[in-house]
Amino acid sequence: MTRSPLPANLVIGAILVALVIGVALLSTIWTPYDHAALDIAHKFQGASPAHWLGTDQLGRDVVSQLMVAAGNSMVVAVTAVLIGGTIGTALGLLASARGGWVEDLVMRLSDLGFAFPALLFAIMLAAAFGPSLPNVVIAIAFINIPVFARVARASANQIWTREYVFAARAAGLGQFAISRDHVLPNIAAPVIVQATIEFALAILIEAALSYLGLGAQPPAPSWGRMLSEAQTLMYIAPHLAIYPGLAIVTAVLGFGLLGDGLRDISDPRLSRERPA
Amino acid sequence: MSLFLFRRIAGLILTLLAVSVVVFVSMNVLPGDPVLTILGLDSTEDARAALRQQLGLDKPIVGQYFTWIFNALQGDFGISYSYGVPVSDLIRERIPMTLSLAFCGMALTTVLALVLGISAASNHKRPGDWGVMLISQLGIAIPAFWLSMLLVMLFAVKLRWLPPGGFPGWGEPLLALRSLILPSVALALVQSAVLARVTRSSALEVIRLDYVRTARASGFSRHRILWRHVLPNALIPIVTIVGLQFAALVSGTIVIENVFYLPGLGRLIFQSISNRDLFTVQALVMMFALIVVLANFLVDIAYVLIDPRLKGRTT
Amino acid sequence: MIELNNLSVRLGQFAAVRSANLTIRPGDRIGVVGESGCGKSMLALSIMGMVPDGLQVDGALRINGHDMSHAPESDWNRHRARTMAMIFQEPMAALNPLRRIGDTVAEPLIVHERLGKQAARARALALLDEVGIPDPELRLRQYPHELSGGQRQRVLIALALACNPSLLIADEPTTALDANVALRITDLLVRLSRTRNMALLFISHDLAAVARATSDIVVMYGGDIVERGATHQVLHHPVHPYTRGLLAARPQIARGSGKRRRLPTIPGTVPPLADLPAGCRFSGRCPQELPHCASICPQPVATGSGGIVACHQMGAGA
Repeated sequence: MTRSPLPANLVIGAILVALVIGVALLSTIWTPYDHAALDIAHKFQGASPAHWLGTDQLGRDVVSQLMVAAGNSMVVAVTAVLIGGTIGTALGLLASARGGWVEDLVMRLSDLGFAFPALLFAIMLAAAFGPSLPNVVIAIAFINIPVFARVARASANQIWTREYVFAARAAGLGQFAISRDHVLPNIAAPVIVQATIEFALAILIEAALSYLGLGAQPPAPSWGRMLSEAQTLMYIAPHLAIYPGLAIVTAVLGFGLLGDGLRDISDPRLSRERPA
Repeated sequence: MSLFLFRRIAGLILTLLAVSVVVFVSMNVLPGDPVLTILGLDSTEDARAALRQQLGLDKPIVGQYFTWIFNALQGDFGISYSYGVPVSDLIRERIPMTLSLAFCGMALTTVLALVLGISAASNHKRPGDWGVMLISQLGIAIPAFWLSMLLVMLFAVKLRWLPPGGFPGWGEPLLALRSLILPSVALALVQSAVLARVTRSSALEVIRLDYVRTARASGFSRHRILWRHVLPNALIPIVTIVGLQFAALVSGTIVIENVFYLPGLGRLIFQSISNRDLFTVQALVMMFALIVVLANFLVDIAYVLIDPRLKGRTT
Repeated sequence: MIELNNLSVRLGQFAAVRSANLTIRPGDRIGVVGESGCGKSMLALSIMGMVPDGLQVDGALRINGHDMSHAPESDWNRHRARTMAMIFQEPMAALNPLRRIGDTVAEPLIVHERLGKQAARARALALLDEVGIPDPELRLRQYPHELSGGQRQRVLIALALACNPSLLIADEPTTALDANVALRITDLLVRLSRTRNMALLFISHDLAAVARATSDIVVMYGGDIVERGATHQVLHHPVHPYTRGLLAARPQIARGSGKRRRLPTIPGTVPPLADLPAGCRFSGRCPQELPHCASICPQPVATGSGGIVACHQMGAGA
């Protein structure tokens, strides 16, 4: 019996994600130049051995900016999704365990969350509290809560019907203990898959917000803001508009493929045959 | 059936109320003093008090909320602080722009997504399928604003076929449409990626089902089976996604309008934030949220109407 | 008339059906029995040209003299529903849930016979009546989910009969239904075969149903046709060791002075497709095995009572 090979999207996704995370981690200890160092004399340079991807309108090294921006992006995504995911999953587990009006309430609240497009919610927070990176994290975390609540609840509902849970209940274990010891480990797979996908979305949202000026404020570098600055310079230095975009695509694609790949291997139900 | 409708509409109203509370609280209560935000830290207390009174912010909070709702239902969203005109005027001016963009974008999206999705499903495991999957993965990963920039760099800067942004007004319809091409395409390319994938997976699910085998055994052509048996059934889960698509459409429109400097509601919201024009932002956010909630509501209803299996169980 | 000549259905070097020979004439009622995985469904699908993608069909399949070996899909579509039709095991999901019953049954008439909607509906009504559905006018307007499993299977039969095919293939039509309904459906199929002079290929692992419905039986194992003959002959005087084992394994209610005996079973299990022996598929489990059985494929020979068997014990050199 041959083992089926890992799906392509899982492998490619994992490689891309490792690349991005690696660069982000690296940026904390080393970048080719200080990303904020101005060097007006050498602005708008193209790729060269000194500056691998050139310099921007203030002479800053593009590679260094990209690297630090990667770090920012990862921090935002991970923090926001972790916070939102934890709260959301907890709510979902609660809803599933309790059922009845608790479940209804949680689901109604999460429906409310779905009514708000992610970007709109973030824009609203930015307008109210002023644009800043922490606000972006809060906004994205908020948006993730209903998503995880829904996923956790749906998966947990299936687990509660399983026999080993029945056995645990017969043995007198309380709902909290069952949720923690039996349900949670078994919903880990769909939750992790969802988290990976939400990472991808978080990166996109952070980039969009920074592009609109509502996210990372100068001098903190962000791929989104680099692109918005590059837009006004399109006629002079088109290369500045390419690299940050590629970085975003790499990161988002990586997490997206990884999430898809994880879903493929964790859901054996998905058969791929063509019909008779 | 009418009980079902009644319950749904009640739910809709509740959701809208809840949304309005969230918006109001986020914008007026949580940040502290809106007047401070508007006038800045170095304003005098007198100036702030005057503004507060002018804007009706010295009244109790709950009262403010109800005043806001009451006025909003009559179409009065207050006066824009930065423009000095009623917010509803601002909105009315810019709605055609946003609606045109949204409509063109959505139409293109639907066509693109359905065609790509169905053809991918019928070419499952062959190059046609992989190609579509790859493109859709990219479509999801590429930020709309970056794609827009790339399109502008190619079509406006390099080839000079289309304008890089801005809107010449509705006076000349052809020029106006020309300004809409790149924005709509950018919007559609990004949005159709998700919809194409959903169409494909929905169609794949349906293709595997027994009644497709029955149709095949009845000697029907592939064409007939695909478009008359698979698609109608595949549409059901797709329709539910359309609701989510509206959320994406709203976000996409806001971003695209800003990238292309189109004078619509999305651009207005952005400008209002820069101008600290809280009333306008509040009204706009509420409007957008309203559109999304309504769209989801309509999709819910449509879902039951389309699938005869649900008609009996409308509780 | 449908002829299969050395028909094989393979996936690479593994054969789901190996060198099958079968002739079906109008009015024949042939049963195909064997355990799950023996290739009976694949045989049926190959007659319909609906073998799953990736599987290769070798040998000759002739429909009314017309060789279908490299026929394009449009050729197959011309024959499906009109020359041969098929109903499957699971009726629950086999009808398009968005279509009314009447529209579903009328569709082949509109597509193949170019009938107008009115005429097609009238024919559909008659068909529903023919398959024994009570109150057919009401059912015409209903959706599949409003019908029970047995009723859906009847509708599917009506659908299959719409264009008056010469052959109806029924692949385990009663397995998913409860015993009472199963009996009725079986009888219905026999009745339809008689009144329409329509051949019936009845695939089942339910020997009682096959005994009831058919005049000839084909026994399959591991992709091979191991025995063929008149139904009562094969069931009462089986020749092939596998057939013998199969028939002996039927549970019998102990009579009278209940001397309970152990239910005889065939030792071992069906090996996976990849591990089937190259010669006789049954070798390794056969109580009468000869040394060369595992490597040499037994050729079908006459049994002397009108049937055919593929076993070295019966063939040349026995």
